Amino acid sequence: MIFFNAKAKHKVKESTQTKRVIAFSLHRKNAWLLWLCQCLNIAVIALELSTWLLAIISVLLAWQAFLLHNNKKQASIKAVHQNHQLRKHLDNQLQNQQNKPFTTHVSSILLTVFAVLGCIVIAIKANQVGILASMVHLLCFSYVLKAFELKNRRDFYQLFLLGLFVLASALIFRQNLTSSLITLALLIINLAVLLQLFTPVRSFFTHIKVIIMLLAQSVLLAVVLFLVFPRLSPFWQVPLTQSAETGLSDRVKPGDIANLSRSSALAFRADFGQQAVPPYSQLYWRAMVLENFDGKQWTRNKLTAKNKRVLAVNSIDTSVTALSYQITVEPSFQRYLFTLAPAISDQENKTVISHDDYTVSSEKTITQAKSYQLTSYLSAPLTFALSKENRLANLYYPQGSNPKLEQLALQLQHNYPNVQARAQAVLARINTQSFSYTLQPPLLINNSLDQFFFETQAGFCVHYASAFTFIMRASGIPARLVTGYLGGEYNGTNNILGSTGQWSSQGHLSIYQYDAHAWSEIWVAGKGWLRIDPTSAVDPQRINSGWSRQLLQEQSLLNQELFSLYQLKNIAWLNTLRLQFDALDYQWTRWVIGFTRKQQTDVFKRWFGHRASWKTALILTLSLLVSVAIILFSIDFFNRPKRATVPLKKWQLWYQKALTLLANYGLEKPAAMTVTDFTQQVQAHYPRLAIAFSRLSASYNRLCYQSLSTSEQAELLLVMQQQYHDFVHLVKSDNHKAS
Amino acid sequence: MATKKHFLLPTVISTFIDKHVEAWLSKRLPKSDEHQLNSANIIIYPTRFGLSYVAFVILVFVLGTNYQNNIILLLSYLLASLFMSVMLHSFYNLSQLRCYSQAKQQGYADDVLYFVINITTKKTHYDINAQFSDGTLNSTVEKIAQCHQGSHLIKIPYKSSTRGKHYLGRVSVFSEYSLGIFKSKAMLDFGHYAIIYPKPKYVNYQQYSLSAPLNEASYEHCQTVATLGTDDFFELKPFVKGESRARTAWKQMAKGQGHYSKHYQANQPTLTWLSLDSMPGNNVETKLAYLSFLITELTANNQSFGLVLGTETGDETLTITPNVGVLHQQDCLTALALYR
Repeated sequence: MIFFNAKAKHKVKESTQTKRVIAFSLHRKNAWLLWLCQCLNIAVIALELSTWLLAIISVLLAWQAFLLHNNKKQASIKAVHQNHQLRKHLDNQLQNQQNKPFTTHVSSILLTVFAVLGCIVIAIKANQVGILASMVHLLCFSYVLKAFELKNRRDFYQLFLLGLFVLASALIFRQNLTSSLITLALLIINLAVLLQLFTPVRSFFTHIKVIIMLLAQSVLLAVVLFLVFPRLSPFWQVPLTQSAETGLSDRVKPGDIANLSRSSALAFRADFGQQAVPPYSQLYWRAMVLENFDGKQWTRNKLTAKNKRVLAVNSIDTSVTALSYQITVEPSFQRYLFTLAPAISDQENKTVISHDDYTVSSEKTITQAKSYQLTSYLSAPLTFALSKENRLANLYYPQGSNPKLEQLALQLQHNYPNVQARAQAVLARINTQSFSYTLQPPLLINNSLDQFFFETQAGFCVHYASAFTFIMRASGIPARLVTGYLGGEYNGTNNILGSTGQWSSQGHLSIYQYDAHAWSEIWVAGKGWLRIDPTSAVDPQRINSGWSRQLLQEQSLLNQELFSLYQLKNIAWLNTLRLQFDALDYQWTRWVIGFTRKQQTDVFKRWFGHRASWKTALILTLSLLVSVAIILFSIDFFNRPKRATVPLKKWQLWYQKALTLLANYGLEKPAAMTVTDFTQQVQAHYPRLAIAFSRLSASYNRLCYQSLSTSEQAELLLVMQQQYHDFVHLVKSDNHKAS
Repeated sequence: MATKKHFLLPTVISTFIDKHVEAWLSKRLPKSDEHQLNSANIIIYPTRFGLSYVAFVILVFVLGTNYQNNIILLLSYLLASLFMSVMLHSFYNLSQLRCYSQAKQQGYADDVLYFVINITTKKTHYDINAQFSDGTLNSTVEKIAQCHQGSHLIKIPYKSSTRGKHYLGRVSVFSEYSLGIFKSKAMLDFGHYAIIYPKPKYVNYQQYSLSAPLNEASYEHCQTVATLGTDDFFELKPFVKGESRARTAWKQMAKGQGHYSKHYQANQPTLTWLSLDSMPGNNVETKLAYLSFLITELTANNQSFGLVLGTETGDETLTITPNVGVLHQQDCLTALALYR
């Protein structure tokens, strides 16, 4: 038994010894780079992580940095202490220090406890943050913890793959051009850290260069795969992102949209193709119709919102010009979409639902960029019909909520029996009295519209639209509030072609969050729903061309972003750059993010005809071969020894020619042999040529290695020329004799 | 019977495969002092990390498909084609390498022998490793992180504690350069073998080295010039001014033959025969160890010796005629190493 134990012990010892041989070591520089790389990877996904996890992660990263730093210190202290000892011993010690993984100080028990605790916390919080987010939390947590146990190369590989996975999952949340480029940059850095493991000698920038070259060589095949590799439908249901909703909300209080307009984030883009973009004041992008008013806020009427509209093309007068366009919405994590009412959506697209109130919405929550095609008939009227319930709903207001406004409404009703004249009177009142349009309206007590209309008289679009709609309802006109966006920034060229008068436009309209707007609709018998924008009475510029200078300045004051739009727009070249990047981002969104299976099929059909799997296979094989050829060529190209590009001097030419002459005799000068040595060899083998050749060689040597003035050089050149000719002559005569 | 066959089959197959792989390898990569690495002799295969990388790429693809996320799909395609690019780079990193190595190395048991592989490169190569392919040798992996254009030496250590001639098999030169996804490897047969001499064991060599009788002159000399020890008298030469008087041949001078001085030549060959039988101990290995020690010592002292190795029965006797020098030592030690 004892014998057995001893044997076992021996075995253990042996195994640890063999393990030590393959022990993983990370260079100091590499360890720091890995740490940096981890920080960057986490930073990419940081927005999706809860604050508490971010705190834990930063503590862990700081701890790691501390350990790394400490390790270095210890190594240097040891080095000083053992300076008197044998050099070899010292080196060993140092190496041991460096070879130690930088986190040996953390015991595995502590790590396990930490990991388990973290998992428990994440599991508890899972309900709060959602499944996907908690999975991401777990991923990031394990990614940071893994770095504490880099014991062998496998751990390093695992850490690397985890890092890549963190990058990939960051792409679930954001796919625009900026974040894609950031991800690509981080991918390069990650790969460079991996590469450094195999070539620790070279500098980090060389690694970056090598990785960029590698990726560049892989791009072709990747793009071809992207274009032709069949798109599959999801294998199983995955938890969706539960990010905060952005953009408009389905309940609106007077102060709401002013807050939204501080943001200069993109809401959506519209592409009108070759058609002319309608004038700014026509671009009322309808998002939601709010019909219910409880005295404080406007909400959607659940019934009308639910009703699907079956709008046939024939219900719209065919004489009205149609305008078709494509809208690409940014992820808003909501369902409403945008349209220029009245519009018909593409019949094939079943993910876009049209509603009774001329709004459209998406079938699913919009978590990534989505495109849809619409055809609008801008000058066509909205529906004439108004059901009884609808009429009642659009006339309702809580009695006595704003008594002064109600009184004004009754007065107006009496003075202006004509519905449109009554509306006009309200607008005139707004226009003539001292109302102001501002992003910073004074706070209203209990959202009182009375207070706004009679006391503060300063507000943003919702204030005016709410007050107007309220007055209309109080005076007996069915009215409702519509929210959406107004206008947009055109990015591209928009010219009228001289002779034909046709539009040629190349570009798109970008609509940002600060374009958010609210307006009213009143129902007039025989004319249907009419759009009335009270904002036009107070700030006509907002309606006709966009924000006034004053508003922009206000925004730049309120905006917390680094570069406010106002500043950007004021600097011409920055603005051009911004617009160009926006155009690029649009193309990216359109062709890469929005590259659907249908588009794939279309592209395939256009280029290669009918889709067949053998064609796909053939294309993939061909592109593989082409990539291989490219790689082979580039490897060859980059590894070719660099040749001297300096042209040979005259004397070098002469000497070379003399050498070839001698080579014909069978006496070749090895590259390594010096000129003088070779002269001696010539003397030994061909004494007849020796004198002439040694003269030539001496001149050559002087020209090559002596510092001569230009006149001396010219002189010597002449001498050498003569010597060269003499030599050639001698060789020729010698040949002649021999023959 | 059936079960027996069932159990036998795998071993039969494995030996069959081993045999054929070895045959195939030796046909494809024949023994040579020099090898040029190219597509004929480089094997390239994904490492374990490479396989997990592939699994990872598939995982990213599934992620992208499930979320219908084109950017993640694009990332997975990029990573997949990177796999292919790395394969080519990995291969080209190892190819065009020229390796040269001598087949034979010799040394004492328990001493570390170095098999030197001379690597000549035309371009820069990275992460070149070499190791004996034979796993039972437990040889360490020798590494050059960066091979610039020119020639480099890789020394693969080998250590054995048993004497004899050991064939070491192939050397695998490999690299995981680029990203560790692929291992490109060449199994080169330099015909490496090691001659391991018996480990020297100390024995008082005076009693064996000076076994031949001393002649008169040197005997005399031993008495007079004790410091010169083993030096032997060689000749008389006419005295030259400045020579030590201690060397004067007084005998001749007294006889009136003139002033001569004695000249000695160090290590004038003394005929010594080392034989296995005369060694103490009854274990052959111990005797060989003593012989090994003596051969080394005598060569160090530049003394001449011969070697007689005979089996106990006396059937076959190996005799090496007396000589001096390193080559002679090698011959003798080799004889010891190969003694049966």
